[in-house]
Amino acid sequence: MHCVRKVTDDLYWVGANEKRLHLFENIHPIEDGVSYNSYLLLDEKTVLFDTADWAVGRQFIENVEYVLDGRKLDYMVINHMEPDHCASMEEILLRYPEVTVVSTEKAYMLMQQFGFSVTDNFHQVQEGDTMSFGKHNVVFVEAPMVHWPEAMVTFDTTNGVLFSADAFGSFKSLDGVLFADEVNFDRDWLDEARRYYTNIVGKYGPHVMDLLGKAATIDIKMLCPLHGPVWRKDLGYILDKYVHWATYEPEEKGVLIAYASMYGNTESAAQILAAKLHEKGMHNLRMYDVSKTHQSYLIGEAFKYSHMALLAPTYNLNLFPPMESFMLDMQKLNLQKRVVGVVENGSWAPQSGVVMKEILDSMKQMTVLNEEVSVTSSVSKAVYDELDSLADSIIDSMKQDYKY
Amino acid sequence: MLFKTTEAHEEFRAKIRAFAEEEVKPIAFMLDKENSFPHEVVKKMAKNGWLGIPYPKEYGGAGMDALSYAIAVEELSRVDGGTGVILSAHVSLGSYPIAAFGTEEQKKKYLMPLAKGEKLGAFGLTEPNAGSDAGGTETTAVLEGDHYILNGGKIFITNAPIAETYIVFAVTTPNIGTKGISAFIVEKGWEGFEFGDHYDKLGIRSSSTAELIFNDVKVPKENLLGKEGQGFKIAMATLDGGRIGIASQALGIAQGAFEHAVEYSKERIQFGKPIAFQQVNSFKIADMATKLRCARFLIYSAAELKEAHEPYGMESAMAKQYASDIALEVVNDALQIFGGTGYLKGMEVERAYRDAKITTIYEGTNEIQRVVIASHILGKAPKEDGGVVKKPAAAATGARKKILFKGTAQEQVDQLVEALKGDGYDFTVGIDKDTPIVEADRVVSAGKGIGEKANMKLIEALAVQAGAAVGSSRPVAETLKYLPIDRYVGMSGQKFTGNLYFACGISGASQHLKGIKDATTIVAINKNKNAPIFKNADYGIVGDVLEILPLLTKALDNGKEKKPAPPRVKMKRATVLKEADPFDRYVCNGCGYEYHTELGDPDGDIAPGTTYEQLPEEWLCPLCGSAKIDFVKVKTKEDK
Repeated sequence: MHCVRKVTDDLYWVGANEKRLHLFENIHPIEDGVSYNSYLLLDEKTVLFDTADWAVGRQFIENVEYVLDGRKLDYMVINHMEPDHCASMEEILLRYPEVTVVSTEKAYMLMQQFGFSVTDNFHQVQEGDTMSFGKHNVVFVEAPMVHWPEAMVTFDTTNGVLFSADAFGSFKSLDGVLFADEVNFDRDWLDEARRYYTNIVGKYGPHVMDLLGKAATIDIKMLCPLHGPVWRKDLGYILDKYVHWATYEPEEKGVLIAYASMYGNTESAAQILAAKLHEKGMHNLRMYDVSKTHQSYLIGEAFKYSHMALLAPTYNLNLFPPMESFMLDMQKLNLQKRVVGVVENGSWAPQSGVVMKEILDSMKQMTVLNEEVSVTSSVSKAVYDELDSLADSIIDSMKQDYKY
Repeated sequence: MLFKTTEAHEEFRAKIRAFAEEEVKPIAFMLDKENSFPHEVVKKMAKNGWLGIPYPKEYGGAGMDALSYAIAVEELSRVDGGTGVILSAHVSLGSYPIAAFGTEEQKKKYLMPLAKGEKLGAFGLTEPNAGSDAGGTETTAVLEGDHYILNGGKIFITNAPIAETYIVFAVTTPNIGTKGISAFIVEKGWEGFEFGDHYDKLGIRSSSTAELIFNDVKVPKENLLGKEGQGFKIAMATLDGGRIGIASQALGIAQGAFEHAVEYSKERIQFGKPIAFQQVNSFKIADMATKLRCARFLIYSAAELKEAHEPYGMESAMAKQYASDIALEVVNDALQIFGGTGYLKGMEVERAYRDAKITTIYEGTNEIQRVVIASHILGKAPKEDGGVVKKPAAAATGARKKILFKGTAQEQVDQLVEALKGDGYDFTVGIDKDTPIVEADRVVSAGKGIGEKANMKLIEALAVQAGAAVGSSRPVAETLKYLPIDRYVGMSGQKFTGNLYFACGISGASQHLKGIKDATTIVAINKNKNAPIFKNADYGIVGDVLEILPLLTKALDNGKEKKPAPPRVKMKRATVLKEADPFDRYVCNGCGYEYHTELGDPDGDIAPGTTYEQLPEEWLCPLCGSAKIDFVKVKTKEDK
C-alpha cells in the first residue's frame, strides 16, 4: 500500500523508510534506520526527482504509481547516482519506457557503469541549464564532490524548492515525519544529521562551501534532501550547521574524551581527566571507549567539539588499533583545527603517544597541548598531577580560537 | 701552451706585491690586533685602478683579465688575508652581478663607481636560516607602486658596513623556494637600512663583516637586478666566479706562510744544521710547494676558462675547494716548522693559520663545492620522496604567542603587564638581581640596543620591579663589558630555563635564542620591528628601550619591597594554536584530490613548490584526470 505525503502544491514525497538495514553503506550503524527520499512533481509534465534503494523498491514503486494516478512519467531527474538513490531507476525505466532521464554527463557515465539501460532517452544538462515542465521551471546547479563527482542539485524557481541531493540529509527513518519543523530536530535529529554529514561528506568541506556559495545567490524556500526531513522553516539553522561542518569549525567549546583501555588503567586516566575537567567547571564533555563505540559516532563528536583528549595504550610497539583506526578516519575526513590532549600508556616501551602525535601532525592545524601525559601501566601520583595539569591546559586553551 | 703566466701578468704581480709589502705589511699586525679596516690601503688601491681589474674600461674598470684579478687577490692575501678578501668581495660579489646582469643604466649608475673604486661593494645572501641552502631565504621584497619594500636581514656580510653598494637577495614570490628569490641593488644610507653587529672573528680581522638589517627599506623598482625570480640564478653565477677570488685568497695566505716557513727553516739551527735540512722538514716543504703549485694551476686555469667564456663552474669549485683545503694543511705545516715561535701573536704564520680557516667555509663551504663538482659529473640527483619545499623555519624558541601590543607606549606597557599578571606572574615577589642565570626564575636582559653603559641602570631598575635577575646578550658582556662574562645568556653562555625572560634591545641572534628556548614566557622590547626576537617571543613591544623600560618599571612597581620569591616552580608554556600552511589550497571537482604546493605532482613532473597558479594549463589531476580548471580554491568562512 502507498505511503506518501504532500510536500507543497504539485509536489509529493514518494520515498520510503529503511528500518531493517544494520549498516548504511555497509559501514555506518543505523540504529534508527534511514529514509530514501524521492519527490514527484505533477505539472503539465510529470517529473520524478531521484529514486530509492532497491531494498525499498516495492514501496517506492507503489508510491509513484499512486501519485501518478494513471498519468505517464515524462521525466526522471537524477541528482545523485549513488545506488541508495538510483538502484530503483531500472524499474522505473521498465515501467515507464517513454521517460526521459535528465542528469549530468558524469552521471550518464555512471549509469553505464552500473548497467542501467539509459541511451537515447537521456537529456544531458550542465550548470545553469533550465527546463520548464509547465508551471514549474527548474535550473540545474552542479554540486561536484558533494560527495560524488556527478552530483547536482535542482532548483525550482517557481516555488523555491531546492532538491539538494545528499546535502542536508540525515540518518534516521522518517516514520511519518516529513518536515523538520514537525520534530524537535535539535534534540532528536541533530546528532544523527551530523553523524551522516561528517562521515559521508565530511572530507568534502571545500566543495560543500562552494555549493553553499552558489546557493546563497538564489532564494530558497524549501530544502528537499535525499535522506531525512524536508526543511521549510528556519533554514538558517541547518545552513549554519553546514557552514560549521564544512569549514571544520566546532559547534561548541567542549571536550570529546576518546580512550582505549585494555585492562582499565587507561580508562582510569580518562575518568580522572573527566573528573578534573568537571571539577574545574568544564561540563560540556562526552567520554567514549573507542573499542566499543562505532567510530562514526566518534567522528560526529570530533566535528562537534572544539577539544579532544585521546588516551590509548601502546600495542605491538605502536598505537592500539581501534584508536589508530579512529584517528586515521579523522585524518581521511579532513578534520582540522582542533586542540588535542594526548595521553599514552605503555608498560615497557610507550609508543602510542608518538604515533598519535604523528597522525595529528599529518592533519591540518591540529594543536597538541604541551602537557603530554605518559602513563606507565597504571596512574601514579605523578601522572595524577599531570592529568590535573592537562585539564587546566585544556580549559585555558579554550580562550583561543582558530580562524575558519 | 706553456702553462705559464705572461710577462704582463708577472709585471702586474710585481706591482701588487710591492704595494702589499710596502703598504699593507707594516700595518697588518695592527689591523689584525685591533680588528680595524685598512681604509687608506683601499683608497690607494682604488687610485691605482685595482678595484675594477676585470671590468671594461668604459665602465671605469682596468679592462684586464680574470687571471690578473686572481693574481691581485693572491698577492694581497700573501701579506694579509683580510685585505685580500676586501678586494675579492668587492670585485667578485659586489660588482660582478651588476656587470653580468645589470641594465645599461644600472651599470652606469652602480658599476662605474664600483669599478673606479669610488665606492665599495658587498653581497648579501646568507641569513640565519639560509646559508648553503638559499631556499630558506626569509628576507622579503614586496612591490608597492614604484618601490619594493624590503624587510628582513642578512648575516656575515663581508665589507659591511663600510661598503656603499649592496647586492641583496630577497623573496618576491613566497613559498616556492629558490624560484621565488630576486636580486636588488641597495644603497647604504637608505631609510630603514641599518647594520648590526660587526663580528669579532677568528681571522681575516682586517676585513669588516657585519649584519644587514632591512626595515621597510624602499628600493626603487629599477634597482631590481635581472628579472623577478632570477635571484638564485644570479647568486649562483656570481658565486661561480667568486670562488676564483676565494681560491686565490687561500693560495695567497698559504703562499705567504710557506715563504716564511722556508726562510725560518733555513735560519733555525738545531742539531748543527738548519732545520730545513732535517728530512722531516725538507719533505714537508716539498709537499707544501707541490700543493701550492697544484692549487695555483687549478685557479689560473679556472680564471682562463672564465676569461675565454667557456664553462668554468666545476673548475672554479675544484680550485676553491682544493686551494682552501691545502691552505689549511700548508699553514699548519708552516706553523709547525716555526715551532713555539710561530704560536706567538705578531708572527705572520700565526695570523695566516687563523686567516686560512675561513676559506674552507665562505662563498660556498667546501662541502657545497663538492656538491657542485659532483653534480657536474653525475647530473642532478634522483628526486627524493616527499616534499622538499620547506615550510617557514620554526622559531628557535619553539611555538610562541607572538603577540605585539598596539597603541601608545604607555598603553602597550599596560597591556603587557595585564597579560603577564593574567598568566599568573606575581610581581609582589622577586629574586636577587645577582641570582645566577641558570637558577633564576626571571631575568631582565640587555642587548646592544641599550646603548651607553649608563642605561644599564634602567635594566637594573626593571629587574628589581620585575623580581628578576640581570642578564645580557653576548656582545653586551663580551664586547661592551657592561656585565661580567658569566651573565650573558645564550647557547655559548648561560642557559635560562626559568619562567619569565625580558629581552630588552636584543635583536635575537640564533645563539641567544637557543639559550632561552626553555623559558616559559619571553617578552621582547626592541625598536626594530623585524628583529628576530619578536618571532620568538610571547609578548612584544616595538619601541625604544629607553622609553619603554622606565614605563614598564613604574607599571610593575607596587610601592613595596619585593617579598622573597618562593622556590622556583616551572609554569606552563602557553598553548599556541597551529597556524595554517601558507599555500592556497585547491581541490579537484572530479574526485576531491587536494593539490599540495609543497609536494607538487612528481608523477606529472611538477616540482615541489609549484603553486596551483603555476601549473601548466594542460596539467591533469593525477587521480582522476580532471583538467586543471576543474579545481576549486578552498574557501574560508570569510570568503563565503
